[in-house]
Amino acid sequence: MNNPNICSICGKPAAVRLSNPDRRLCAEHFIKDAEKRVFEAIDAGKMIREGDRVLVGLSGGKDSTALILILSEYVKTRPGVKLIAVTIDEGIAEYREDTIKAAERLVEYTGVEHGIISFTELFGDTLDRLVADRKNLACSICGVLRRRSLTEAARRFSADSIATGHNLDDEAQSVLMNMLRGDKPSLIQDSSLGYTGYFVPRIKPLAVLSEKEIVTYILLKDFYSPLPECPYAVTALRMEARKIIGTLEEKYPGTKLNIVKFRDGIREHVPYSPKGKLNTCKICGELTSGEICQVCRVLNRKQ
Amino acid sequence: MKIVLPDKKIIIQKREPAIIKDILEGLWINPSSVIVAKNGDIVPEDVIAEDKDEIKIIFFAHGG
Repeated sequence: MNNPNICSICGKPAAVRLSNPDRRLCAEHFIKDAEKRVFEAIDAGKMIREGDRVLVGLSGGKDSTALILILSEYVKTRPGVKLIAVTIDEGIAEYREDTIKAAERLVEYTGVEHGIISFTELFGDTLDRLVADRKNLACSICGVLRRRSLTEAARRFSADSIATGHNLDDEAQSVLMNMLRGDKPSLIQDSSLGYTGYFVPRIKPLAVLSEKEIVTYILLKDFYSPLPECPYAVTALRMEARKIIGTLEEKYPGTKLNIVKFRDGIREHVPYSPKGKLNTCKICGELTSGEICQVCRVLNRKQ
Repeated sequence: MKIVLPDKKIIIQKREPAIIKDILEGLWINPSSVIVAKNGDIVPEDVIAEDKDEIKIIFFAHGG
């Protein structure tokens, strides 16, 4: 260790060392630093406007825990903004029960209005039963149904935007995964955002914080609790991307941020415009680029 | 030194003062995938741990 491990601001023992710029921070100043970076990202990206109703996807996992805690601080300085937390209960046995309890503890602490929407209510059954004979597709089916659930929640709560807990690691990994798949459209347009102008905008306020910073933040705020891993989590390519980027970040601090900045630079120069027009799904009536929406397709709904 | 691994297993070993990052790498743990508490306080991995210290390793690299 070249320098003494003390906070660059107050001189107390440091809890973290950050790069760009290189600095050490104690618990209190790290919490302030992380919140400030997220607030600046929200303002710079005009993610939240005065008077907005922001739906917060609250799974109860580490990312959404940090998201609700940080957004609760953000709205203290913007009293016109209203947060509404929603937890999607997919119906995954021995997994979701614990995270719902964690979510309930968080809304009690923050005082944020909370709603729970279940796959059973929206799609007629639990994820466990919907994918019983096609478990290898569980993650992609769940992703489609979760997106629709959030859209439905935004409708119910008259939300102006949907905030999700995607972090810097998620974003950097997605860039590398898109490159490895040769998927240029996904590199240029975030598929999770849908068609801008047609759907409730999605915002990712935590995309400036690394996964490690997020876990450090909730540990220091005493909201960290190890929760079970989703039994369907089998994202082999993402794990590879995580390993590669993790190794590079260790050797060259700032790698994750640079990958995301590089993607953002490309997006500025190659504006995305969806091909074709949007239709209404012939089965459920929701917007879709084809004739039948993804939800009806994964649920094998018939006309 | 007492080392508490992410799976709660405990290793007790006599050792000279060492940089935590080196201790982690000696255990085949990538420092970027864990957070370390030394005697109960979170610390950067370039801090030195001594024989009298307790090191707790918190693994976080999975779902959000």
